[in-house]
This record gives sequence, structure tokens and C-alpha cells, in this order.
Amino acid sequence: MFDQTKSLKLTGSVVQFQWTNPHCYIQLAVKDASGTTTEWSLEMGAPMYLYADGWRPGTLKTGSPITVTIYPLKDGKPGGVVLTATTADGKPLGKGAPLSKASS
Amino acid sequence: MRPVLLLAAAALAVGAFPAAAKDLTPAERTKAYAKLPYWGGFWITENDETSIGGLSQRAIDKDSSRAAMLLYGFNAPWNDEGRKRQAARAKAGDRKADGWGYPVMMNAAAPIQFMITPEEVIIINAYRDVRHIYTDGRKHPDADDLWPTVWGDSIGHWEGDTLVVDTIQVKNPNIYFHGAAPLSEQAHYVERIRMVSPTRIEDEFTIEDPVTLTGPWKAKITYSPAEGFDRMVSIDFDNDRTGFDDQGRNTIEPPKPAEK
Repeated sequence: MFDQTKSLKLTGSVVQFQWTNPHCYIQLAVKDASGTTTEWSLEMGAPMYLYADGWRPGTLKTGSPITVTIYPLKDGKPGGVVLTATTADGKPLGKGAPLSKASS
Repeated sequence: MRPVLLLAAAALAVGAFPAAAKDLTPAERTKAYAKLPYWGGFWITENDETSIGGLSQRAIDKDSSRAAMLLYGFNAPWNDEGRKRQAARAKAGDRKADGWGYPVMMNAAAPIQFMITPEEVIIINAYRDVRHIYTDGRKHPDADDLWPTVWGDSIGHWEGDTLVVDTIQVKNPNIYFHGAAPLSEQAHYVERIRMVSPTRIEDEFTIEDPVTLTGPWKAKITYSPAEGFDRMVSIDFDNDRTGFDDQGRNTIEPPKPAEK
């Protein structure tokens, strides 16, 4: 399903954070070099995995700028599975995010 | 509930349990509890640690030395029928799951919890798979009173600090969860579960199935404390977006419109 031979780095604005089973998803609006915006569907683990890592439903807000690395979908559609996620300026999300409600 | 109905319900409930359990007074139950082990907290299968993306950390690390997901059955002693089912399973690819069910819930990356009482042991996971393991001396119901389910019918007893569990009437686990071993409803599962240290519980499985296995299939599952949980995180399955593209490959379906 995902091409685990290559990873992509995306920076964009959160459209929606789905805190759902069997997977959480980030819908991320990403603008390319030509100025065209594409919405990516980014799969994460089940909420329990994220919870254990300090994430909560409110960790990502609509409009938040974030950066993710992903393995992209093999079929070339704008989607993938998340490997890492940080704020757009590189601060951690979940555990290690001292100002986040998620870390309390 | 009206008093008469309440009495009738109480009589039925008492009649349904063996004598060993029904006559315990609260004080006796307190004493019975004191003799039982306590496996408090949340436990997770070792070597099945999972990243925030839901990928196995073992797979990300490309570390094949750590045995994981033993109950998926890749090394089980399959007979011809078992191999046939395994081949069909491989062709089916990644399908949508309804949850995990038994026995995979005992070998999954989701935390489990053991609730030990004098009459039964209840095992719960984050997907609300629930096992009731009756330790009050009862037997499995007669054949005419049994039907296969995703979790089967379990009875157990204590041998010292080891819980011995006998489970039958489990539906083919591969139907409920696509990663599970395609055993038949005739499979017989025996588990010996024991806390071997304050941070380790072991569950030794022996599975026999005249339909799909050539002999006993043994697997030892180990659990360590699940970190990061201050409560059981349970959420229903309402957003399975794993679908198929026009070439039959798995892909992510578009988000559903928000419901009100």
C-alpha cells in the first residue's frame, strides 16, 4: 500500500485531524512550487498508539502549520503513512511538546 | 424491576453457577481475592511496539531478529487444508478488519487488561474484545448449547500462580481479522498464563486443530507494561478508509463528509 523505499517531507496546513479507529488521519493542505494546493490524506496509527505517545485529539488544530515525513501511497495518489510529525518550525508534537496540552 | 421479577432473576442467576462460587459471603470473597494474583495495569505484547504511523517499529527498524506476531501463524504446522487457507489468505491482500478478536487480541499491539476475580478472569483490550474465563469450576456447555463466536468459550483454573485456560468454539479468526491464522472452528486452544516478574507476563499457547494443523502448534507470547496509558483508550471503528484502487491495490479513500 505504501512505498517504503522512499520517504517524502511535506509542510502544510492542517485541514482536519481525524481521531478515529482503525486509523487516525491528517488531512493536510500542501502548496507546491507552482502555487497549487493539494490536500493529502495521511494515515497514522490507531488513537491508542498516538495516545501512548502523548498525542490527544486537540494536538493538531485546523490551520496549524506542520511538517511530516511519510512513505507515500504506491498508487501515486496524494496520501501516505506518517513517519514523523513536528510543528512547521521543527518542534515535537505529542511527547516532548512542553507547551502542548497533550504532554500533560 | 418489580420485586417478584427481581427475585426470579436472582434465583436464575444463582442456579446458573456451580456451588463453589454461589455460596461465598462477601467476607469469604475477600479471602478468596487475597489468594489470587494481581496483574494490574495495562500490558502489551513484546516486540509489537508501534510507531505513531501505526507501523511496526520492528519493521521500521528492519529487525527480523525480534519474534513478533507469533499468533499470525506463519510458522504453524499447517496441513494441506491449512496451507490452502494460508495461500488464499495471501491472495486476499489487506482487507478491512472488524477488530481483532481471539486469539490475535492476545498477541496485538493494543494494550490488554487482566481482571482477576474468584469466579472468573476477564481480559479486555482497547478494541473492547472481551474474554470471560470462568474459574468457578464449570465445564464448557454441552455441544448442543454451544455456537462459534469470535472469542469462543473459555473456562480456566489456577495451578498455583498459573492460569490455565481452555478455549473452544472460536470462529475462523482470519474472517474477523485479516492478519489472523485461518484455523477452523474445531480448534482447541490451551493457554498457561503466568506473571514471571513484576514487569513480565507469559502466555504459553498450545493450539490443536484437526482441520488445519498436523499437530500441536505452540507459541509463547510475552507481555510487558504498556507505557503512556492512564486509562484504556477505546474508540469504535467508524472510519475505515482503507480501500482499493482500480488495480486492486490498497489505497486511502477520501475523507467522509462530517456527520451531524
